[in-house]
Amino acid sequence: MYYIQLALNGLSQGLVVGLAALGITLVFGIARFANASAGDGLTFGAYLALVGQRITDSLLLGVGFSIIVSALANVLSYKLVFKKLAGRSSVALLVGSIGLGFLVRGALGVVFGHQQEVFNVQLVAPYRIGELAISILDLQMASVAALALAATFGTLYFTSIGRQMRAVADNLELARVCGIHPERVMIALWSLVGAVTAVAGLILGIKTVVSPEAGWEMLLPAFAAAILGGIGSPVGAVLAGLLLGVAQEVSTPFVGFSYKIALSFVVILFVLLVRPSGLLGRIEGVR
Amino acid sequence: MTLEVSNISVSLGGFEILKDIAISVPEAGMTGLIGPNGAGKSTLFSVISGFLKQSAGRIQFGGRDLDGTGAAVRARAGRVRTFQVPREFRHMTVRENLYAAAPDQPGEHLINLLIRSAKVNLREREVRQQGEEVLDFLKLRKVADVPSGQLSGGQKKLLELGRVLMLKPKMILLDEPFAGVNAVLIAEIVDRIRELHAGGVGFLIIEHDLEAISDLVDEMHVLNRGMLLASGAPQAVLDDARVREAYLGGAVQ
Amino acid sequence: MTAYLVTIFIIVLIYLLLSLGLTIQYGLTGLVNFGLVGFFAIGAYASALLAMNGIPMVVSFLLASVLAGLAAWPIGLVALRLRDDYFAIVTLGFSETIRLVIVNESWLTNGVRGITDVPALFQGAASSAPLVTVGVLLIVNAAIIVVLQRIVKSPFGRALEAVRDDEIALTALGKSPSRFKIEVLVLGSALAGLAGAFYGHYVTYIVPDQFVPLTTFYIWMAVIIGGVGRVSGAIFGTVLLIGLLEGSRFLRDLIPAIPDTEMASVRIGAVGLLLILFMIYRPQGLLGDFTKR
Repeated sequence: MYYIQLALNGLSQGLVVGLAALGITLVFGIARFANASAGDGLTFGAYLALVGQRITDSLLLGVGFSIIVSALANVLSYKLVFKKLAGRSSVALLVGSIGLGFLVRGALGVVFGHQQEVFNVQLVAPYRIGELAISILDLQMASVAALALAATFGTLYFTSIGRQMRAVADNLELARVCGIHPERVMIALWSLVGAVTAVAGLILGIKTVVSPEAGWEMLLPAFAAAILGGIGSPVGAVLAGLLLGVAQEVSTPFVGFSYKIALSFVVILFVLLVRPSGLLGRIEGVR
Repeated sequence: MTLEVSNISVSLGGFEILKDIAISVPEAGMTGLIGPNGAGKSTLFSVISGFLKQSAGRIQFGGRDLDGTGAAVRARAGRVRTFQVPREFRHMTVRENLYAAAPDQPGEHLINLLIRSAKVNLREREVRQQGEEVLDFLKLRKVADVPSGQLSGGQKKLLELGRVLMLKPKMILLDEPFAGVNAVLIAEIVDRIRELHAGGVGFLIIEHDLEAISDLVDEMHVLNRGMLLASGAPQAVLDDARVREAYLGGAVQ
Repeated sequence: MTAYLVTIFIIVLIYLLLSLGLTIQYGLTGLVNFGLVGFFAIGAYASALLAMNGIPMVVSFLLASVLAGLAAWPIGLVALRLRDDYFAIVTLGFSETIRLVIVNESWLTNGVRGITDVPALFQGAASSAPLVTVGVLLIVNAAIIVVLQRIVKSPFGRALEAVRDDEIALTALGKSPSRFKIEVLVLGSALAGLAGAFYGHYVTYIVPDQFVPLTTFYIWMAVIIGGVGRVSGAIFGTVLLIGLLEGSRFLRDLIPAIPDTEMASVRIGAVGLLLILFMIYRPQGLLGDFTKR
């Protein structure tokens, strides 16, 4: 029972990691680089939602505000940074993304200071099923995440721009030859990534606290999930994120609280060495 | 000793690039591998030299299965390949390319730079000496100090051969040594190959220029669309109707 | 005033060891080591703990450096076949794991409280200790620079150039690019460990919080701005880095309204901005690039 409770707790952690991993794997698959600013994108989304809620007194509006502004900000960062580095080595884009993450983190620290903030949410007694406790907030967060996932997968698989995005991920040259405009695909990509990371950051902020470092600490787990799920596989990223979240929580009684991040490192090494394509990916040229 | 290619098949992404190839290549012999573009010749080279893992089949040398040995190990064992599109170390001069190719350099280990500098210098002198010999042999002395990226296509091919020679190989796998090279240089290269062969070095040569190669080799294997079409003495192979058909239904004179 | 300048000089020389380590790894060989601070930490803690247990400092420095180098070996064996960005992520994970181990194994490292009484450098020299420290660091750095130049001109350096130009061609000639990369990784990490040892015994107080990825990226910034692949670039970039970090302190004095924690954020933001700007507009750094990457 105890473990099942841990597993349930792990699911919401897993949602954060899974959504963040989704953002990473989309960028890896379509723009072909490792986006190390993903973690700070989560922090950004969390602060946006906080501000939105404080201004409008409605968490829902705050979330909407966060999603929209985050999407716009990501498109902006594409135009100002990643587009200018396009065609350069993957190291250049990686270092550029590190720089972007630092810039965002620094700016947030200056604007909001370092005290940890919390969302204003009402404390309600959790549902009880036998000995298990499921908090209402968790259910709400899960629904928001489910909506975000539905929107993402819906876009990817049922819209024209989504098809174009997948074509670019599959074979860039061929996509260009077929007349797909890379610019439009990129704008769609970064908007989607912005929205997804905003939701991830929101859940993280609500479940824990909002602070400038919060998102960066999710970076390694998110990468681990993206790699475990198979780089380029959106479904894989989300599933792996959930798996990793649950595994982290369930392993806590064994390995102690602080070694959770080490689990991510071990997962990354293990997958890259033993099965580079991850659970659901294709071999993408890891070596 | 013989290089045995047994039932080698290679599938990549659903495409069958090589299907059931079986040939025997004597180490000290002079063998040709011909076929139209896209026949899979370079792919076979990659499998033989350890750059590509076959989907099925075995490569054996002197009776021992090569499976699991990496490309670098196979090269050190005496069978060295070149590439269809030359892979010169373009920022390095011709001389430096040759020096870099020489094997067993203690100076390539940091430890030795610190504590065994005498050994390092000794080997370096040998390497440089050998480098000068190769330069003369291939008549590349004029461009010895030119960054190799600036060489002509033919010169780059010669440099590829030169680097291989620094390893004192027993068998050289040449991938299209004459492609994009002018006729005079081709004759030069053929002469060098003959000289080396007379000295005991075996060759496996990929070419799609039948003329250049039919005088040179003792035995030919023809590949087409990933399959072995014919094997045998050059004239017999050239007379083979299937081979003629593969080469544009052709007038193979 | 002079005491302050001496302090700055010492910090520059310690960080220069880190920059030189990264220059060998990234500048010369193209290894994207995002875990530099992990080896820095190993060096600091190893030397501190050894010295506190009676080992003479010269020996503890050497051992710490060797340990840091050895720690790089398995990373090299395991991760060097990976693509650049995966390698970067793995090394980042490694340095964070090192920090976690330091935090958790408090029986060894005193955890988050840190080690407060690391034996100081050159205590025998009393008041001239700082100057002696400068002298020693200068000699060490100079020696390393000489060694680096010799490596570049040696057969090993030649092989590194070949690795940069065409790994596949080098493999076809019977040499394994990975072997060269591992040796470079170990050497650079040993340097980082040596820097860590100097750091620990200089500041005499080490906590896990000093060994966060930010430090790794400070060095990346220094090397990128100074000019990748050149010793002069590493020197120039390190001086600039320390200048910026110290300069921000003066800025804070000018504008007392900015509290300490905010200064930290300003610094992080500035590092980020500089990384972006240089990657986009001047990737070869201020002093040019001799590896043509």
